[in-house]
Amino acid sequence: MVDLSADLGFIKLKNPVIPASGTFGYGEEFQTFFDLDILGAFVLKGIYKNPRPGNIPPRLHETAAGLLNSIGLAGPGAEELVNIIKRVAGITHTPVVVNVCGEDDEEYLEVAQIFDALDEVAMLELNISCPNVRAGGKCPAQDGQHTYRLVKLIKQNTVKPLIVKLSPNVKDIVSIALSAEEAGADALSLVNAYLGLAVNLKSRAPVFRNVFAGLSGPAIKPLALKLVYEVARQVAVPVIGIGGITCGGDVLEFILAGASAVQTGTVNMVEPAASVRILHEIETQMQELQIKNLEEIRGELKI
Amino acid sequence: MKEEKCRVVENININEKYYLMKLKTTTIAKDCRPGNFVMVAVSTTFDPLLKRPFGIFKSEPPYIYLYYEVVGKGSELMSRLKENDNLAVLGPLGNSFPVFRSENILLIAGGRGIVPIYFAAENYAAGNTLFLIYGAKSAGDLNLLDRIDSLPLKKTYLYSENGSTGKKGLVTGDVREIIIDNHINITFSCGPDAMFKSLNQELAGLAVENYASLEALMGCGFGICYSCAVKTRLGGYKKVCSDGPVFKLEDIEW
Repeated sequence: MVDLSADLGFIKLKNPVIPASGTFGYGEEFQTFFDLDILGAFVLKGIYKNPRPGNIPPRLHETAAGLLNSIGLAGPGAEELVNIIKRVAGITHTPVVVNVCGEDDEEYLEVAQIFDALDEVAMLELNISCPNVRAGGKCPAQDGQHTYRLVKLIKQNTVKPLIVKLSPNVKDIVSIALSAEEAGADALSLVNAYLGLAVNLKSRAPVFRNVFAGLSGPAIKPLALKLVYEVARQVAVPVIGIGGITCGGDVLEFILAGASAVQTGTVNMVEPAASVRILHEIETQMQELQIKNLEEIRGELKI
Repeated sequence: MKEEKCRVVENININEKYYLMKLKTTTIAKDCRPGNFVMVAVSTTFDPLLKRPFGIFKSEPPYIYLYYEVVGKGSELMSRLKENDNLAVLGPLGNSFPVFRSENILLIAGGRGIVPIYFAAENYAAGNTLFLIYGAKSAGDLNLLDRIDSLPLKKTYLYSENGSTGKKGLVTGDVREIIIDNHINITFSCGPDAMFKSLNQELAGLAVENYASLEALMGCGFGICYSCAVKTRLGGYKKVCSDGPVFKLEDIEW
């Protein structure tokens, strides 16, 4: 028997598979496909204080082995999410992660505090990296000082473990990661979607109103692996790898690159029961490769 | 709703870019209702990555029929599938047309919009009186007429924009008179956005309940990606996949 558990230090997950924010709804939409208890944890769709309609369509554009999205963090607002979380807690014991958003630092803090006070929430994930909220894809994760200031503000005023979700759309992700760690982040998750451009040849205009949109899916996996590898070597806090994971082998590659756990994204949209398959594949592949536990290979990429 | 491995029984080229696929399902055929759709994995590679939405044309458990038009890469790959090919199908998805009894229902289909309309006609004929308006650009887009002939319809009105078959004109051209003449109190419609837009104008002020089945570009098909947003008249968006695809026509901002 192999040991699938993933140790983040502040919490030990039964396995490393965590469906990512924005690709797993509020969890309950998936209970028709599989028992949510099988997951290591899951991250709810990002939330602001107030309800948000999301971006004007089009919101989606398929690319080779990938997907550009510009959803714009549509959501019901914090108050309604509290009700949803109470409902979700009734159907699973799996740790629930709330993805915290904000227009400004004050809103980030307000939202974080609402869910920090909720027993049904295991961890907070600070979403400082959504590419689709401001035109041009600007976000706090592109500025080390802002990242530090915001993470510090949240850490000083909340008690739950805080994961900080980083953007790949930066010059030097390691320096941003170090800023987040120095400010007190308990873990880092990376990467959010890559900024991309889709062109409508007929209209000679961008497909999306925000011009750029977030690229996800298998197309970004090698890019994400590189950043996870670079960051994991430099920080002491656990890294959660995200980017184009579609199978058990992909998960083990991220662990080798230094991740302690992973988030699965686009694959959940394409194949709702992907988590079941991926978990099975991790186990089979660990047996084949004679890996007893994840810690044995974490960061052990032979260079 | 679940993901099933389905077997292609036949995939017939009906006319030009239109196909009719018969799929053997496990439970989808038994569980589906008129208006429901399925997400089909047209490829087992990452390109295209997403499943494609197809409305259900007919259910004959354990079989479902998908009538579709080749409009892009996904439907093109779909058209190349052969008998005995297996594919992953997610469904049945979405809501369905409401059930009525003893009503005069006008079914309105533009082009491939015939899909849920045909399914509704087969299922709602008992207990109601059905009328159909079916129109498209040209005769080549107005298919399956033999099947439609055998539906228990009180009256069928055919239109083509170029006059190559039926009456020359738009599906919505005479809809007001047809409703009044036949004492219609319910409409079910499916077609392109331009048709809905015109229908919404034509039907304004008439005492009819109008249900429209919308088509949209979709990511997941089951309500989690928020890609298929459609703007509502009261503000905000609804998801075509999980709030719809059937909406009150007047609730949508056209």
